[in-house]
Amino acid sequence: MTLQTWLLFALVLFAVGLYAVLARRNLIAILIGVELMLNAANINFLAFHRFVTNDPAVGQIVVLFVIGLAAAEVAIALSIVLAVYRERKAIDVQDLEELKG
Amino acid sequence: MILEALAGSLGVAGAMLVVLQRNMVRAIFGLAVALLGVAIAFLVLDAPFVAAMEVLIYIGGITVAMVFAIMLSAEGRLAVEASALRRVVGALLAAAFFAGVAYAITESSFPTTSLAAEARSELASVEAIGRDLLDRFNVVFELLSIVLLVAILGAVTIATREGSAGTEDKKA
Repeated sequence: MTLQTWLLFALVLFAVGLYAVLARRNLIAILIGVELMLNAANINFLAFHRFVTNDPAVGQIVVLFVIGLAAAEVAIALSIVLAVYRERKAIDVQDLEELKG
Repeated sequence: MILEALAGSLGVAGAMLVVLQRNMVRAIFGLAVALLGVAIAFLVLDAPFVAAMEVLIYIGGITVAMVFAIMLSAEGRLAVEASALRRVVGALLAAAFFAGVAYAITESSFPTTSLAAEARSELASVEAIGRDLLDRFNVVFELLSIVLLVAILGAVTIATREGSAGTEDKKA
């Protein structure tokens, strides 16, 4: 597979994740969309690492950092989801409009 | 070739399951399938260590944490269907983004050099990751551990504080 095929595969995952973030109303579904987008970026990092750079490890290390940050992000996001659910008994984003201008 | 086809089909099928399923537990299962496809893609891209970490951290940790969050919030198990307008606008924006970036990818030419054969052997690559993590990227590595610690403390604080406030309200 060429570099461009990998980039297009990652683009499919990113576009589906973008659709999930834009069109779904459940907080956890939006979080899943963000995870899909992060993984698409990871595929891009590794594809460029494999096909472009001569460095033996830099792309893989960037992907490991992204995975670690994604784990921290999910921990925070899920605790916010639980706090919202405890307060509102719902995790629908259209109910959360106190800060709407 | 088989592995590449498997990675692509698992990734796309899982992603479709994520956006089409109303049942949130099945959507999370779709995420796990898509992540398995991504892990196989990492394997094909000569990064077996990252593929193993993807399976351990994402499929073993993150999706399981999401399932727990779904189980703890009973109302969230069946997602409310978004309005047709919202879905159409979302699909149009995502399709426009896809078309634009796909055009850019297919029209541009990328420089391709290949790693030396010895640098790509699996053992050498894991060794290089370990060396670079403690040498070139050590500051980032240590900062990431602090970020994880703060995130864990923050998650515990956010998830428990609202509950105690709620009980105080009930007393008052």
